[in-house]
Amino acid sequence: MTATVSEFRERATVAIADVRLQTALEGATGRFAASREAALAELPWADELRDHFKAMRAATLANLAAHLETFERNALAAGAQVHWAQDGAEACAIVTEIARRRGVTLAAKSKSMATEEIHLNAALAEAGVRPVETDLGEWIIQLAKEPPSHIIAPAIHKTKEQVAELFERESGRPQSADDIPALTAEARRMLREQFLAAGMGISGGNVMVAETGSVVLVTNEGNGRMVTTAPPVHVAVIGIEKIAPAWDDAAVWLSLLARSATGQPMSIYTTVVTGPRREADPDGPEEVHVVLLDNGRSHLLGSKYEEVLQCIRCGACLNVCPVYREAGGHAYGSPYSGPIGAVISPLLFGLDKYAALPHASSLCGACKDVCPARIDLPRMLLELRADLVEQGLAPTKEGAMEKAAAFALRYDKLWRVVTGLGRVGQRPLLKNGKLQVPDQFNPAGERQLPSLAKKSFHDLWRDGEV
Amino acid sequence: MTQTRTNILSRLKMQQRDTAMPPMWQTQQGFDDLAEQFVAALTAVHGEPHLTPNLETAAQKLGEILTELGAKRVVCNDEVPLSDLNLAERWPAIQWHIVGQSTGDLRDFSATADAGLSSGAAAIAETGTLVIRSGPGKSRVATLFPPVHIALLPTNCLTTDLFTFTASRTGDLPANMTFVSGPSKTADIEQTMAIGVHGPKRFIVILYRET
Repeated sequence: MTATVSEFRERATVAIADVRLQTALEGATGRFAASREAALAELPWADELRDHFKAMRAATLANLAAHLETFERNALAAGAQVHWAQDGAEACAIVTEIARRRGVTLAAKSKSMATEEIHLNAALAEAGVRPVETDLGEWIIQLAKEPPSHIIAPAIHKTKEQVAELFERESGRPQSADDIPALTAEARRMLREQFLAAGMGISGGNVMVAETGSVVLVTNEGNGRMVTTAPPVHVAVIGIEKIAPAWDDAAVWLSLLARSATGQPMSIYTTVVTGPRREADPDGPEEVHVVLLDNGRSHLLGSKYEEVLQCIRCGACLNVCPVYREAGGHAYGSPYSGPIGAVISPLLFGLDKYAALPHASSLCGACKDVCPARIDLPRMLLELRADLVEQGLAPTKEGAMEKAAAFALRYDKLWRVVTGLGRVGQRPLLKNGKLQVPDQFNPAGERQLPSLAKKSFHDLWRDGEV
Repeated sequence: MTQTRTNILSRLKMQQRDTAMPPMWQTQQGFDDLAEQFVAALTAVHGEPHLTPNLETAAQKLGEILTELGAKRVVCNDEVPLSDLNLAERWPAIQWHIVGQSTGDLRDFSATADAGLSSGAAAIAETGTLVIRSGPGKSRVATLFPPVHIALLPTNCLTTDLFTFTASRTGDLPANMTFVSGPSKTADIEQTMAIGVHGPKRFIVILYRET
């Protein structure tokens, strides 16, 4: 997947014209944003807590190697196996190799952005392992063969009628779209069989805790508990940046995560995995693997984009973004959408492939306002725009126009001549004070540009008229 | 593999800086009565808390709930205070599976049980959260597979919030520790809340004041 300027525009145009999608997006993002605000308002010290979190995340990243080594040491001591993956291909190879060794043909997955990022499902299928997504939203889009359109609510764009149809096809039984609890019960029944039959459980990880070598998983449905409990093998794939040195730090992380994501004081289930089942445990997986995924992250450390590694994938920035709320997640052509996606997709997957995304923002700053780690996404969007120009990835037409404008603006007389000519030249296009430019030449797209004023502000000022 | 590890770590080490961690966050939260706060918080998320004066009344409450459920098969972790209640003698009509003691397959039994019983290692007042740990006699599936999870624990297990919980944490962690803050739920279909996706549909916590 990519998001060039024309691809982004095309996909966004389709999304904006889709009335049902617009209603769904507006409703869901609005509810998430309002719930988040209410949940943080319950903590009068929420702002200090976020400041603290920001400082903690920055300090953790400054010493990331040491924390990862501590994590590894403690996870190994608890009996887990720790793997390091340079990129998606290496991570997929590690997971499929474990599956092969264990003779796994069915893997139950809980929702994980990291595994979306590396396209693990395709790799598993190729290796003869059937991956089943078990987060209800993620399962819906797996049945629909679509990528997620929101970090927290991947099937945000699907209507209940579409869900009922997908379930009908999967179960072979008629489903009622008007009965959401019944649809949920059907999913429970069908997926329970998969949990019990799966030879491997695959998860992401919300945070690793170095001091105990633990992986923490947060879910509301309980699928995170299922995949770490029912199958004999559990594999967690986690970005190397998602680490807290100690439990006191993880507590800050967790108390901000659910509040920022869904507005819950705490998600229903927070599962802490520290190695496989112990000798006297009545149940639990025999093997626990942690795959530490780099995939471009280590190159961001120490760069002007390091701050983006503070992200905890809560999705709060998506819900307040005027571009995301209109364009929807699929326009971004990446598992990571919204403002955070506009920054990390180009950084992790290539600026050339995602050239549209740094511009998919009005720079209103709402994302920075709601970020639990106060990540300055607008600043990085601007940096990326500069990179586009420096790397020659900006459209040549745009560059030529900018250069011409810069030249004309530099000389007062030249500027007067240009604008004077413009005033005369625009006459045939004028209608009700607006320019009627034919669509294919209109740089403002569907909007009408205002005409040049009869008298410039400069002249009004000089003549004492303002 | 080893080479990858070395490469990643050496890249990270090149950017290593001496930045101090901020001093530990001290909780700002305070509640007059932890038990009452727990009840209010858990109720708000569709959990079912019950506050009883002592273990005996807690056991009576448990009996009422099991009767109301019409429970015929119940899986129970082998841990105090449940192990002190002589469950099988009290409720002989129920088929019990006591973890680690009963014969038969724990997993199969749990998959078809009407309810699962446990105690808890701690409870967090702010969010109405129960903390359960794996270990000898303490099954994970017993509190996960059945449609109902009932937990019974004394109020002296209560702590204010996540910060007071982690601050008082000592020793090694078990293989699995789970924070449960209500019944399983989802809003993945049109943002409409539905209870009981993969985990228990009902989450009942019986607290008793006497220790």
